Amino acid sequence: MNYGPLLFLAAFFALAGSWFGFVLTPQAQIGQLQQTNILGAPTLYPQARPGLARQGLEVYRANGCADCHSQQVRQSATVCDVLLSAAGTNPPAVLSALFKVKPGLSEPDARQCLSSLPQRLLEGLKPEEADTAVKVLNVAGAKAVVAIVPVGPDIARGWGKRRSVARDFIFDYPVALGSQRIGPDLANISMRQPDAGWHLRHLYAPRLEVKGSAMPPYRFLFEMRKIERCPSPDAMVLPRDAGPPPGYEIVPKPEAIALVAYLLSLRADAPLFEAPLTFAPGAGAAGGTNAPAAAELTPTNAPAASDATPTNAPAK
Amino acid sequence: MPPEAAEPSAGNLPVPVWLMVLLFVLLYAGMVFFDRFSGWFNAEVYMPYASLSDLQAFQPRGGGGPSPEHVRAVYENNCGLCHSNDGKGKPGQAPPYVGSEWVLGSPERMIRIPLSGLSGPVQVEGTEWNLSMPSMGAALSDDDLAAVLTYIRTSWGNKASAISPEQVKAVRAQIGARSQPWTAEQLKAVP
Repeated sequence: MNYGPLLFLAAFFALAGSWFGFVLTPQAQIGQLQQTNILGAPTLYPQARPGLARQGLEVYRANGCADCHSQQVRQSATVCDVLLSAAGTNPPAVLSALFKVKPGLSEPDARQCLSSLPQRLLEGLKPEEADTAVKVLNVAGAKAVVAIVPVGPDIARGWGKRRSVARDFIFDYPVALGSQRIGPDLANISMRQPDAGWHLRHLYAPRLEVKGSAMPPYRFLFEMRKIERCPSPDAMVLPRDAGPPPGYEIVPKPEAIALVAYLLSLRADAPLFEAPLTFAPGAGAAGGTNAPAAAELTPTNAPAASDATPTNAPAK
Repeated sequence: MPPEAAEPSAGNLPVPVWLMVLLFVLLYAGMVFFDRFSGWFNAEVYMPYASLSDLQAFQPRGGGGPSPEHVRAVYENNCGLCHSNDGKGKPGQAPPYVGSEWVLGSPERMIRIPLSGLSGPVQVEGTEWNLSMPSMGAALSDDDLAAVLTYIRTSWGNKASAISPEQVKAVRAQIGARSQPWTAEQLKAVP
Protein backbone atom coordinates (compact mmCIF):
# COMPACT_ATOMS: atom_id res chain seq x y z
CA MET A 1 0.00 0.00 0.00
CA ASN A 2 2.58 2.55 -0.95
CA TYR A 3 0.03 4.33 -3.19
CA GLY A 4 -2.69 4.93 -0.63
CA PRO A 5 -3.48 8.57 -1.50
CA LEU A 6 -3.55 7.74 -5.22
CA LEU A 7 -6.00 4.87 -4.69
CA PHE A 8 -8.16 7.13 -2.54
CA LEU A 9 -8.20 9.79 -5.21
CA ALA A 10 -8.98 7.25 -7.93
CA ALA A 11 -11.92 5.85 -5.93
CA PHE A 12 -13.11 9.35 -5.11
CA PHE A 13 -13.10 10.50 -8.71
CA ALA A 14 -14.78 7.31 -9.93
CA LEU A 15 -17.65 7.76 -7.45
CA ALA A 16 -17.85 11.53 -7.92
CA GLY A 17 -17.88 11.06 -11.71
CA SER A 18 -20.75 8.60 -11.62
CA TRP A 19 -22.69 10.75 -9.18
CA PHE A 20 -22.16 13.70 -11.48
CA GLY A 21 -23.23 11.69 -14.54
CA PHE A 22 -26.11 9.67 -13.13
CA VAL A 23 -27.60 12.05 -10.55
CA LEU A 24 -26.59 15.65 -11.06
CA THR A 25 -26.68 15.89 -14.86
CA PRO A 26 -30.12 14.25 -15.30
CA GLN A 27 -31.46 16.44 -12.51
CA ALA A 28 -30.20 19.55 -14.26
CA GLN A 29 -31.45 18.23 -17.59
CA ILE A 30 -34.98 16.99 -16.84
CA GLY A 31 -35.48 17.78 -13.16
CA GLN A 32 -37.46 20.97 -13.83
CA LEU A 33 -39.89 19.71 -16.48
CA GLN A 34 -43.28 21.39 -16.39
CA GLN A 35 -46.67 20.81 -17.95
CA THR A 36 -46.79 21.99 -21.51
CA ASN A 37 -49.29 22.48 -24.30
CA ILE A 38 -50.21 19.60 -26.53
CA LEU A 39 -49.09 20.31 -30.10
CA GLY A 40 -51.70 22.38 -31.90
CA ALA A 41 -54.14 22.55 -29.00
CA PRO A 42 -54.43 24.75 -25.91
CA THR A 43 -54.63 21.70 -23.62
CA LEU A 44 -52.10 21.22 -20.85
CA TYR A 45 -50.25 17.92 -20.65
CA PRO A 46 -49.73 15.86 -18.58
CA GLN A 47 -52.57 16.17 -16.11
CA ALA A 48 -52.02 15.05 -12.53
CA ARG A 49 -53.61 11.70 -11.84
CA PRO A 50 -56.83 11.77 -9.83
CA GLY A 51 -56.48 10.89 -6.14
CA LEU A 52 -57.84 7.37 -6.48
CA ALA A 53 -55.40 6.67 -9.30
CA ARG A 54 -52.58 7.99 -7.15
CA GLN A 55 -53.55 5.50 -4.46
CA GLY A 56 -53.62 2.92 -7.22
CA LEU A 57 -49.97 3.63 -7.96
CA GLU A 58 -49.19 2.56 -4.39
CA VAL A 59 -51.09 -0.69 -4.95
CA TYR A 60 -49.20 -1.10 -8.23
CA ARG A 61 -45.93 -0.75 -6.29
CA ALA A 62 -46.98 -2.96 -3.42
CA ASN A 63 -47.90 -5.84 -5.70
CA GLY A 64 -44.78 -5.61 -7.82
CA CYS A 65 -46.60 -4.98 -11.06
CA ALA A 66 -43.53 -3.18 -12.37
CA ASP A 67 -41.53 -6.42 -12.04
CA CYS A 68 -43.33 -7.83 -15.07
CA HIS A 69 -44.77 -4.78 -16.83
CA SER A 70 -42.81 -1.88 -18.24
CA GLN A 71 -44.24 1.57 -18.86
CA GLN A 72 -41.98 2.82 -21.59
CA VAL A 73 -42.71 2.79 -25.28
CA ARG A 74 -39.70 2.79 -27.55
CA GLN A 75 -39.52 4.33 -30.97
CA SER A 76 -36.89 3.47 -33.53
CA ALA A 77 -37.57 6.18 -36.09
CA THR A 78 -40.00 8.80 -37.30
CA VAL A 79 -41.20 8.99 -40.87
CA CYS A 80 -43.41 11.34 -42.85
CA ASP A 81 -46.45 10.22 -44.83
CA VAL A 82 -48.29 12.32 -47.39
CA LEU A 83 -52.05 12.42 -47.00
CA LEU A 84 -54.12 13.54 -49.96
CA SER A 85 -57.47 14.89 -48.81
CA ALA A 86 -58.94 16.73 -51.81
CA ALA A 87 -58.28 16.56 -55.53
CA GLY A 88 -59.04 20.20 -56.32
CA THR A 89 -60.59 21.42 -59.55
CA ASN A 90 -57.88 20.62 -62.08
CA PRO A 91 -57.74 16.83 -62.55
CA PRO A 92 -55.12 16.77 -65.35
CA ALA A 93 -52.69 18.88 -63.31
CA VAL A 94 -53.26 16.73 -60.22
CA LEU A 95 -52.73 13.55 -62.25
CA SER A 96 -49.42 14.79 -63.60
CA ALA A 97 -48.43 15.87 -60.09
CA LEU A 98 -49.30 12.37 -58.84
CA PHE A 99 -47.04 10.79 -61.46
CA LYS A 100 -44.30 13.21 -60.48
CA VAL A 101 -44.40 12.46 -56.73
CA LYS A 102 -45.06 8.73 -57.16
CA PRO A 103 -43.17 7.48 -60.20
CA GLY A 104 -44.36 4.10 -61.40
CA LEU A 105 -48.00 4.81 -60.58
CA SER A 106 -50.22 3.53 -63.38
CA GLU A 107 -52.97 5.77 -64.75
CA PRO A 108 -55.91 3.60 -63.61
CA ASP A 109 -54.37 3.41 -60.14
CA ALA A 110 -53.97 7.18 -60.06
CA ARG A 111 -57.61 7.72 -61.06
CA GLN A 112 -58.69 5.14 -58.49
CA CYS A 113 -56.63 6.99 -55.89
CA LEU A 114 -58.28 10.31 -56.75
CA SER A 115 -61.75 8.81 -56.58
CA SER A 116 -61.31 7.41 -53.07
CA LEU A 117 -60.06 10.31 -51.00
CA PRO A 118 -58.72 10.85 -48.38
CA GLN A 119 -55.75 8.67 -49.23
CA ARG A 120 -52.41 7.90 -47.63
CA LEU A 121 -50.52 8.60 -50.83
CA LEU A 122 -46.87 8.17 -49.84
CA GLU A 123 -45.41 6.44 -46.82
CA GLY A 124 -42.09 6.39 -45.02
CA LEU A 125 -40.55 9.56 -46.45
CA LYS A 126 -37.92 11.87 -45.04
CA PRO A 127 -39.31 15.27 -43.98
CA GLU A 128 -37.78 17.17 -46.88
CA GLU A 129 -39.05 14.61 -49.42
CA ALA A 130 -42.54 14.83 -47.97
CA ASP A 131 -42.47 18.63 -48.05
CA THR A 132 -41.45 18.58 -51.70
CA ALA A 133 -44.23 16.13 -52.62
CA VAL A 134 -46.84 18.17 -50.74
CA LYS A 135 -45.68 21.32 -52.49
CA VAL A 136 -45.97 19.69 -55.93
CA LEU A 137 -49.49 18.44 -55.13
CA ASN A 138 -50.68 21.72 -53.62
CA VAL A 139 -49.38 23.73 -56.57
CA ALA A 140 -51.54 21.51 -58.79
CA GLY A 141 -54.57 22.51 -56.70
CA ALA A 142 -54.90 19.33 -54.67
CA LYS A 143 -54.93 19.40 -50.88
CA ALA A 144 -52.14 17.35 -49.35
CA VAL A 145 -50.61 17.42 -45.87
CA VAL A 146 -47.62 15.83 -44.18
CA ALA A 147 -48.40 13.35 -41.42
CA ILE A 148 -45.71 12.65 -38.80
CA VAL A 149 -45.67 8.93 -38.04
CA PRO A 150 -43.56 7.40 -35.26
CA VAL A 151 -42.50 3.83 -36.01
CA GLY A 152 -40.93 1.05 -34.00
CA PRO A 153 -41.66 -2.44 -32.72
CA ASP A 154 -43.53 -1.25 -29.64
CA ILE A 155 -45.68 1.06 -31.74
CA ALA A 156 -46.38 -1.77 -34.21
CA ARG A 157 -47.59 -3.88 -31.25
CA GLY A 158 -50.08 -1.15 -30.44
CA TRP A 159 -48.42 -0.32 -27.12
CA GLY A 160 -48.39 3.37 -27.91
CA LYS A 161 -48.50 5.97 -30.62
CA ARG A 162 -45.22 7.63 -29.82
CA ARG A 163 -42.23 7.06 -27.58
CA SER A 164 -42.46 7.75 -23.86
CA VAL A 165 -40.72 10.92 -22.76
CA ALA A 166 -39.74 12.21 -19.33
CA ARG A 167 -42.64 14.67 -19.30
CA ASP A 168 -45.16 11.81 -19.27
CA PHE A 169 -44.04 10.94 -15.74
CA ILE A 170 -43.68 14.29 -13.97
CA PHE A 171 -46.63 13.65 -11.65
CA ASP A 172 -45.55 10.12 -10.70
CA TYR A 173 -43.45 9.31 -7.69
CA PRO A 174 -41.84 6.88 -7.94
CA VAL A 175 -41.82 6.41 -11.68
CA ALA A 176 -42.83 2.80 -12.36
CA LEU A 177 -40.80 2.44 -15.54
CA GLY A 178 -40.15 -1.27 -15.11
CA SER A 179 -37.40 -3.15 -16.86
CA GLN A 180 -38.90 -6.52 -17.78
CA ARG A 181 -41.67 -7.38 -20.15
CA ILE A 182 -43.08 -10.64 -18.94
CA GLY A 183 -46.44 -9.00 -19.57
CA PRO A 184 -47.21 -6.28 -22.11
CA ASP A 185 -46.18 -2.66 -21.70
CA LEU A 186 -48.75 -0.65 -19.76
CA ALA A 187 -47.82 2.92 -20.74
CA ASN A 188 -51.04 3.19 -22.76
CA ILE A 189 -53.19 0.45 -21.26
CA SER A 190 -56.27 2.65 -20.92
CA MET A 191 -56.11 3.43 -24.64
CA ARG A 192 -56.22 -0.28 -25.46
CA GLN A 193 -58.61 -1.38 -22.76
CA PRO A 194 -60.76 1.39 -21.28
CA ASP A 195 -63.24 -0.97 -19.61
CA ALA A 196 -62.95 -1.03 -15.80
CA GLY A 197 -64.94 -4.27 -15.59
CA TRP A 198 -62.44 -5.98 -17.88
CA HIS A 199 -59.55 -4.91 -15.65
CA LEU A 200 -61.27 -6.17 -12.51
CA ARG A 201 -62.06 -9.57 -14.04
CA HIS A 202 -58.51 -9.71 -15.41
CA LEU A 203 -57.05 -9.06 -11.96
CA TYR A 204 -59.35 -11.64 -10.40
CA ALA A 205 -58.72 -14.33 -13.01
CA PRO A 206 -56.36 -13.26 -15.82
CA ARG A 207 -57.06 -16.31 -17.94
CA LEU A 208 -60.73 -15.47 -18.13
CA GLU A 209 -59.85 -12.48 -20.26
CA VAL A 210 -56.54 -13.38 -21.90
CA LYS A 211 -56.14 -16.97 -22.96
CA GLY A 212 -52.83 -18.44 -21.80
CA SER A 213 -51.93 -15.40 -19.71
CA ALA A 214 -48.87 -15.87 -17.49
CA MET A 215 -50.16 -13.40 -14.93
CA PRO A 216 -50.96 -14.75 -11.47
CA PRO A 217 -54.47 -14.05 -10.19
CA TYR A 218 -54.67 -11.28 -7.61
CA ARG A 219 -57.61 -12.70 -5.68
CA PHE A 220 -56.54 -11.12 -2.40
CA LEU A 221 -57.63 -7.81 -3.89
CA PHE A 222 -61.17 -9.19 -3.84
CA GLU A 223 -63.46 -10.33 -1.11
CA MET A 224 -65.91 -13.22 -1.17
CA ARG A 225 -68.86 -12.58 1.08
CA LYS A 226 -72.28 -13.90 1.75
CA ILE A 227 -75.08 -12.08 0.00
CA GLU A 228 -77.15 -10.44 2.70
CA ARG A 229 -80.47 -8.87 1.84
CA CYS A 230 -79.60 -7.97 -1.75
CA PRO A 231 -76.44 -8.36 -3.87
CA SER A 232 -73.88 -5.55 -3.87
CA PRO A 233 -73.93 -3.30 -6.93
CA ASP A 234 -70.13 -3.72 -7.05
CA ALA A 235 -70.27 -7.52 -7.25
CA MET A 236 -68.25 -9.06 -10.08
CA VAL A 237 -70.09 -10.63 -12.97
CA LEU A 238 -68.23 -13.88 -13.61
CA PRO A 239 -68.95 -17.00 -15.66
CA ARG A 240 -70.56 -19.74 -13.57
CA ASP A 241 -67.52 -22.04 -13.31
CA ALA A 242 -65.26 -19.17 -12.11
CA GLY A 243 -67.81 -17.51 -9.91
CA PRO A 244 -68.50 -17.88 -6.19
CA PRO A 245 -70.73 -20.62 -4.75
CA PRO A 246 -74.46 -19.84 -4.70
CA GLY A 247 -75.41 -17.32 -2.06
CA TYR A 248 -72.00 -15.64 -2.19
CA GLU A 249 -70.63 -12.75 -4.19
CA ILE A 250 -67.17 -11.47 -5.08
CA VAL A 251 -66.59 -7.78 -4.49
CA PRO A 252 -63.41 -5.83 -5.31
CA LYS A 253 -61.67 -4.37 -2.28
CA PRO A 254 -60.79 -0.63 -2.34
CA GLU A 255 -57.24 -1.59 -3.39
CA ALA A 256 -58.51 -3.25 -6.54
CA ILE A 257 -60.68 -0.28 -7.40
CA ALA A 258 -57.76 2.11 -6.85
CA LEU A 259 -55.46 -0.07 -8.95
CA VAL A 260 -57.97 -0.13 -11.80
CA ALA A 261 -58.36 3.66 -11.53
CA TYR A 262 -54.58 3.92 -11.87
CA LEU A 263 -54.53 1.59 -14.89
CA LEU A 264 -57.28 3.63 -16.50
CA SER A 265 -55.21 6.77 -16.00
CA LEU A 266 -52.25 5.31 -17.92
CA ARG A 267 -52.28 6.92 -21.30
CA ALA A 268 -49.41 8.81 -22.87
CA ASP A 269 -50.16 9.49 -26.50
CA ALA A 270 -50.54 13.27 -26.64
CA PRO A 271 -48.41 14.84 -29.37
CA LEU A 272 -45.66 16.93 -27.79
CA PHE A 273 -42.86 19.04 -29.19
CA GLU A 274 -40.32 16.43 -28.10
CA ALA A 275 -42.45 13.55 -29.43
CA PRO A 276 -44.40 14.87 -32.40
CA LEU A 277 -47.01 12.91 -34.26
CA THR A 278 -50.08 13.57 -36.37
CA PHE A 279 -53.42 11.95 -35.81
CA ALA A 280 -54.41 11.25 -39.37
CA PRO A 281 -58.02 12.25 -39.94
CA GLY A 282 -59.98 9.48 -41.60
CA ALA A 283 -56.94 7.25 -41.99
CA GLY A 284 -57.87 5.11 -39.00
CA ALA A 285 -54.85 6.04 -36.92
CA ALA A 286 -56.39 4.96 -33.64
CA GLY A 287 -57.99 1.76 -34.86
CA GLY A 288 -55.23 0.72 -37.21
CA THR A 289 -52.17 0.93 -35.02
CA ASN A 290 -54.00 -0.59 -32.12
CA ALA A 291 -55.08 -3.71 -33.95
CA PRO A 292 -52.48 -6.32 -32.93
CA ALA A 293 -52.78 -5.70 -29.23
CA ALA A 294 -56.53 -5.44 -29.41
CA ALA A 295 -56.71 -8.82 -31.10
CA GLU A 296 -54.45 -10.27 -28.45
CA LEU A 297 -56.57 -8.87 -25.67
CA THR A 298 -59.94 -9.88 -27.04
CA PRO A 299 -61.80 -11.72 -24.31
CA THR A 300 -62.17 -15.31 -25.47
CA ASN A 301 -64.32 -16.99 -22.87
CA ALA A 302 -65.36 -13.88 -21.04
CA PRO A 303 -68.83 -13.12 -19.82
CA ALA A 304 -70.68 -10.54 -21.85
CA ALA A 305 -68.72 -7.48 -20.85
CA SER A 306 -71.21 -5.03 -22.25
CA ASP A 307 -73.95 -6.34 -19.99
CA ALA A 308 -71.74 -6.04 -16.95
CA THR A 309 -70.24 -2.60 -17.47
CA PRO A 310 -72.26 -0.54 -15.01
CA THR A 311 -71.72 -2.86 -12.07
CA ASN A 312 -67.95 -2.83 -11.80
CA ALA A 313 -67.15 0.67 -12.90
CA PRO A 314 -65.31 2.70 -10.25
CA ALA A 315 -65.56 6.46 -10.49
CA LYS A 316 -63.52 7.42 -13.52
CA MET B 1 15.29 -19.07 10.70
CA PRO B 2 15.31 -17.95 7.05
CA PRO B 3 14.98 -14.25 6.39
CA GLU B 4 11.41 -13.18 5.64
CA ALA B 5 10.63 -12.08 2.05
CA ALA B 6 10.25 -8.32 1.66
CA GLU B 7 6.75 -6.80 1.30
CA PRO B 8 5.79 -6.66 -2.39
CA SER B 9 5.52 -3.12 -3.70
CA ALA B 10 4.30 -1.57 -6.95
CA GLY B 11 7.05 -0.33 -9.17
CA ASN B 12 7.02 2.09 -12.07
CA LEU B 13 6.34 0.74 -15.53
CA PRO B 14 5.69 3.07 -18.47
CA VAL B 15 2.19 2.86 -20.05
CA PRO B 16 2.57 1.23 -23.48
CA VAL B 17 2.33 3.64 -26.39
CA TRP B 18 -0.32 1.52 -28.21
CA LEU B 19 -2.61 1.80 -25.19
CA MET B 20 -2.30 5.58 -25.20
CA VAL B 21 -3.05 5.68 -28.92
CA LEU B 22 -6.04 3.37 -28.47
CA LEU B 23 -7.42 5.55 -25.69
CA PHE B 24 -7.12 8.67 -27.81
CA VAL B 25 -8.82 6.96 -30.76
CA LEU B 26 -11.68 5.89 -28.48
CA LEU B 27 -11.92 9.38 -27.04
CA TYR B 28 -12.09 10.86 -30.52
CA ALA B 29 -14.76 8.40 -31.66
CA GLY B 30 -16.74 9.21 -28.52
CA MET B 31 -16.54 12.92 -29.25
CA VAL B 32 -17.71 12.43 -32.83
CA PHE B 33 -20.65 10.29 -31.62
CA PHE B 34 -21.52 12.86 -28.97
CA ASP B 35 -21.42 15.66 -31.51
CA ARG B 36 -23.76 13.82 -33.84
CA PHE B 37 -26.29 12.21 -31.56
CA SER B 38 -26.26 13.93 -28.17
CA GLY B 39 -28.57 16.83 -29.00
CA TRP B 40 -26.16 18.70 -26.68
CA PHE B 41 -28.01 17.53 -23.57
CA ASN B 42 -31.20 19.27 -24.65
CA ALA B 43 -33.98 17.88 -22.46
CA GLU B 44 -36.39 17.83 -25.40
CA VAL B 45 -34.25 15.83 -27.80
CA TYR B 46 -34.80 12.10 -27.44
CA MET B 47 -33.87 9.14 -29.55
CA PRO B 48 -34.52 8.73 -32.53
CA TYR B 49 -33.95 12.46 -33.03
CA ALA B 50 -30.29 13.35 -33.28
CA SER B 51 -30.52 17.08 -32.65
CA LEU B 52 -32.92 19.95 -32.12
CA SER B 53 -32.93 20.77 -35.84
CA ASP B 54 -33.70 17.13 -36.64
CA LEU B 55 -36.61 17.24 -34.18
CA GLN B 56 -37.86 20.50 -35.67
CA ALA B 57 -37.99 18.92 -39.12
CA PHE B 58 -40.55 16.45 -37.79
CA GLN B 59 -42.93 19.00 -36.25
CA PRO B 60 -46.43 18.94 -37.74
CA ARG B 61 -46.78 21.35 -40.64
CA GLY B 62 -49.09 24.32 -40.36
CA GLY B 63 -50.20 23.96 -43.99
CA GLY B 64 -53.74 22.87 -43.27
CA GLY B 65 -54.46 25.66 -40.77
CA PRO B 66 -55.17 24.97 -37.09
CA SER B 67 -56.05 21.37 -36.28
CA PRO B 68 -59.75 20.44 -35.92
CA GLU B 69 -59.28 19.68 -32.22
CA HIS B 70 -57.75 23.10 -31.70
CA VAL B 71 -60.57 24.88 -33.53
CA ARG B 72 -63.10 23.01 -31.51
CA ALA B 73 -61.36 23.95 -28.28
CA VAL B 74 -61.30 27.62 -29.34
CA TYR B 75 -65.01 27.39 -30.14
CA GLU B 76 -65.90 25.76 -26.87
CA ASN B 77 -63.82 28.18 -24.80
CA ASN B 78 -64.99 31.36 -26.53
CA CYS B 79 -68.32 30.84 -28.28
CA GLY B 80 -69.82 27.62 -27.02
CA LEU B 81 -70.16 28.79 -23.42
CA CYS B 82 -73.15 30.96 -24.41
CA HIS B 83 -74.08 29.77 -27.88
CA SER B 84 -73.87 26.14 -26.70
CA ASN B 85 -71.55 23.48 -28.05
CA ASP B 86 -74.14 22.23 -30.50
CA GLY B 87 -74.66 25.72 -31.97
CA LYS B 88 -78.30 25.85 -30.90
CA GLY B 89 -77.86 28.83 -28.61
CA LYS B 90 -79.27 29.14 -25.10
CA PRO B 91 -82.60 30.77 -24.31
CA GLY B 92 -82.15 34.17 -22.71
CA GLN B 93 -78.39 33.96 -23.18
CA ALA B 94 -77.44 33.79 -26.84
CA PRO B 95 -79.17 33.18 -30.17
CA PRO B 96 -78.55 30.00 -32.20
CA TYR B 97 -75.97 29.58 -34.97
CA VAL B 98 -77.79 26.79 -36.76
CA GLY B 99 -79.60 28.29 -39.74
CA SER B 100 -79.01 31.87 -38.54
CA GLU B 101 -79.03 34.45 -41.33
CA TRP B 102 -76.20 36.32 -39.53
CA VAL B 103 -74.00 33.22 -39.73
CA LEU B 104 -74.86 32.08 -43.22
CA GLY B 105 -74.95 35.58 -44.70
CA SER B 106 -72.20 38.05 -45.54
CA PRO B 107 -68.75 37.10 -44.17
CA GLU B 108 -67.90 40.81 -43.76
CA ARG B 109 -70.85 41.21 -41.45
CA MET B 110 -70.15 38.04 -39.49
CA ILE B 111 -66.47 38.82 -38.89
CA ARG B 112 -67.40 42.18 -37.33
CA ILE B 113 -69.58 40.65 -34.61
CA PRO B 114 -66.89 38.81 -32.58
CA LEU B 115 -64.35 41.60 -33.20
CA SER B 116 -66.38 44.33 -31.46
CA GLY B 117 -69.43 42.61 -30.00
CA LEU B 118 -73.10 43.27 -30.66
CA SER B 119 -75.71 44.83 -28.41
CA GLY B 120 -79.30 45.90 -28.65
CA PRO B 121 -82.28 44.36 -30.42
CA VAL B 122 -81.52 41.91 -33.22
CA GLN B 123 -83.75 39.58 -35.24
CA VAL B 124 -82.45 36.01 -35.59
CA GLU B 125 -84.55 33.51 -37.54
CA GLY B 126 -87.68 35.58 -36.87
CA THR B 127 -87.13 35.84 -33.11
CA GLU B 128 -86.13 39.09 -31.48
CA TRP B 129 -83.19 39.03 -29.04
CA ASN B 130 -82.14 42.01 -26.98
CA LEU B 131 -78.85 41.19 -25.30
CA SER B 132 -75.27 42.31 -25.28
CA MET B 133 -72.35 40.29 -26.59
CA PRO B 134 -68.83 41.40 -25.65
CA SER B 135 -65.97 41.45 -28.17
CA MET B 136 -65.09 37.79 -27.76
CA GLY B 137 -62.89 37.49 -30.83
CA ALA B 138 -60.72 40.58 -30.48
CA ALA B 139 -58.07 38.68 -28.54
CA LEU B 140 -57.94 35.74 -30.97
CA SER B 141 -55.39 35.59 -33.76
CA ASP B 142 -56.55 36.03 -37.36
CA ASP B 143 -55.95 32.34 -38.00
CA ASP B 144 -57.96 31.20 -34.98
CA LEU B 145 -60.81 33.59 -35.57
CA ALA B 146 -61.07 32.66 -39.24
CA ALA B 147 -60.98 28.97 -38.38
CA VAL B 148 -63.61 29.24 -35.67
CA LEU B 149 -65.92 31.33 -37.88
CA THR B 150 -65.50 28.76 -40.64
CA TYR B 151 -66.29 26.06 -38.10
CA ILE B 152 -69.53 27.85 -37.19
CA ARG B 153 -70.45 28.37 -40.86
CA THR B 154 -69.89 24.73 -41.78
CA SER B 155 -71.00 22.74 -38.70
CA TRP B 156 -74.31 21.32 -37.48
CA GLY B 157 -75.81 21.38 -40.98
CA ASN B 158 -74.71 24.94 -41.79
CA LYS B 159 -73.34 25.22 -45.30
CA ALA B 160 -71.68 28.55 -46.04
CA SER B 161 -68.37 29.60 -47.53
CA ALA B 162 -65.17 29.41 -45.47
CA ILE B 163 -63.62 32.57 -44.01
CA SER B 164 -59.91 33.11 -44.57
CA PRO B 165 -57.43 34.75 -42.19
CA GLU B 166 -56.88 37.44 -44.88
CA GLN B 167 -60.54 38.43 -44.71
CA VAL B 168 -60.32 38.74 -40.93
CA LYS B 169 -57.18 40.78 -41.23
CA ALA B 170 -58.80 43.12 -43.74
CA VAL B 171 -61.85 43.68 -41.52
CA ARG B 172 -59.64 44.30 -38.50
CA ALA B 173 -57.75 46.94 -40.49
CA GLN B 174 -61.03 48.59 -41.61
CA ILE B 175 -62.61 48.94 -38.19
CA GLY B 176 -59.38 49.89 -36.42
CA ALA B 177 -59.46 50.21 -32.64
CA ARG B 178 -63.23 50.18 -32.16
CA SER B 179 -64.38 49.56 -28.61
CA GLN B 180 -68.12 50.14 -29.02
CA PRO B 181 -70.27 47.10 -29.80
CA TRP B 182 -72.21 47.12 -33.05
CA THR B 183 -75.94 47.49 -33.36
CA ALA B 184 -77.95 45.40 -35.77
CA GLU B 185 -78.63 48.45 -37.98
CA GLN B 186 -74.93 49.29 -38.28
CA LEU B 187 -74.18 45.72 -39.32
CA LYS B 188 -76.99 45.65 -41.86
CA ALA B 189 -75.33 48.61 -43.56
CA VAL B 190 -72.25 46.44 -44.18
CA PRO B 191 -72.45 44.64 -47.53
